Amino acid sequence: MGGLVWTSVVDLARMIATKEVSPVEVTRAFLERVAALDGTLKSFITVTGDSALDAARAAEADLVAGRVQGPLLGVPLGLKDLFNTAGVRTTGGSKILADSVPTADATVVRRLRAAGAIVLGKLNMHEFAYGPEGLNEHYGHARNPWDAQQTRVTGGSSSGSGAAVAAALVPVALGSDTGGSIRIPAALCGITGIKPTYGRASRAGVLPLAWSMDHVGPMARSAADCAIVLRAMAGYDPADPTTSVLPVPDYGAALTGEIKGLRVGLLRPFFMDGSAPEVTAAVQSAARALEGLGAVVDEVRLESVWPVAAASFAIVASEALAYHAEWMRTRSGDYQPDVRERLKMGAFVTGVQYVRAQQVRARVRAEVDEALARRDVLLAPTTPLPAPVLGQTETRIGDAKTDVRSALIRLTRPFNFSGHPACSLPCGVSGDGLPIGMQLVGRPFDEATVLRVADAYQRATDWHRRRPPLA
Amino acid sequence: MRSAMRLAGFAWSDAELDALRPGLERALASLDELERLPLGDTEPTTQYRIF
Repeated sequence: MGGLVWTSVVDLARMIATKEVSPVEVTRAFLERVAALDGTLKSFITVTGDSALDAARAAEADLVAGRVQGPLLGVPLGLKDLFNTAGVRTTGGSKILADSVPTADATVVRRLRAAGAIVLGKLNMHEFAYGPEGLNEHYGHARNPWDAQQTRVTGGSSSGSGAAVAAALVPVALGSDTGGSIRIPAALCGITGIKPTYGRASRAGVLPLAWSMDHVGPMARSAADCAIVLRAMAGYDPADPTTSVLPVPDYGAALTGEIKGLRVGLLRPFFMDGSAPEVTAAVQSAARALEGLGAVVDEVRLESVWPVAAASFAIVASEALAYHAEWMRTRSGDYQPDVRERLKMGAFVTGVQYVRAQQVRARVRAEVDEALARRDVLLAPTTPLPAPVLGQTETRIGDAKTDVRSALIRLTRPFNFSGHPACSLPCGVSGDGLPIGMQLVGRPFDEATVLRVADAYQRATDWHRRRPPLA
Repeated sequence: MRSAMRLAGFAWSDAELDALRPGLERALASLDELERLPLGDTEPTTQYRIF
């Protein structure tokens, strides 16, 4: 049973389809692991054990009867607690929505259930997704399984998704990413997560942080696992007018292991130059590994990203306060202090500043497009530092002192701004034994190439196979 | 701060505004930088749907 929880999504789906293991057996194995470890990890807000076992029995009945099976039949799934789930509370990690029970699933949840996935529960998160550390004062801070002392943050805001996948409490989870909230916990917890192109996956039925920056995507232990899940959840949705009508390719089929001749742009100023030496060394080593696989690596400079922090603040603070305005007038005392303070800031952003931020955004998008016109993917660290300690507010990168929150989102946010697909995957460990992540950024709607490069790297390395001490 | 807060439709206390001041001053400084950027006639991103 112990080995089953470390089995990949791809293998679990195959083993279930060929009746090598039963969906009930698989679901029980993960639920037992949640019961054993989540008291420490605090990755779940709500465990839906009974309904998961009911779904597993139904999947087993489908298998026995030879009825049509989805590509994820019987595969357990965790959901960041901002994806609406019919009949199961969706808290957004908040006290305000503690008893909010949606009547319908989010579109992506409905699609994954239709593909056969079994929802094991709702995962912890930074309250209302407004923070990159993954802190939650209402349900407890999720703990990074890579730190046996339990003092490190998971990164956020999809903190429970990062911790649960890293510790094999679920084989795959959904996260959302407004400034890096899939990729940051993926990097800090040593797993793989992809933020697809803006418009690739529906946000309908997902609590927003900032509508124009929010993305949803899978977090798993490999690019191959992300590929199979992304294919099942992506695609046009009339309920989300920003989704694209472009067809969703078979991402799994794109994973050929072959990247000979692919052009990789290593983002040097701002990204590599703004990271801790051990992070830079790990990503540099990954670039050499990609060269060893036949890719052609050159260095790229993106000048437009320097004002992204200010511009992103103007957009996210304005959009977030617009969504929360009524609660901020009537229930502001029910927010955790850091989130309440960030929301208040939105009141001081002017309309002119919001539009200027959107001008910056247009420039960033154009420059990233231009860099990708001559390259297949861009490569950069995901975060400039490994997981900080809970409560740590400042850090030092090189000679510069910086606040932890700004540092965590500095390298991921430009691609929420631009909307390009970006996948974080492990590429090393720090001197303290903490995971280091790198991100691969692709052309709009070319998640296939991003996943292909990530998968080729993972076929050649074993960083993604390492298990954390708390697991 | 008070005027901006009222314009936005909120009524936070003086103590709440004082607590906000250090973070807000940093944020306003960064917004000033945004205002000084030579963005010319760059068309702002107002249409999010790429395809």
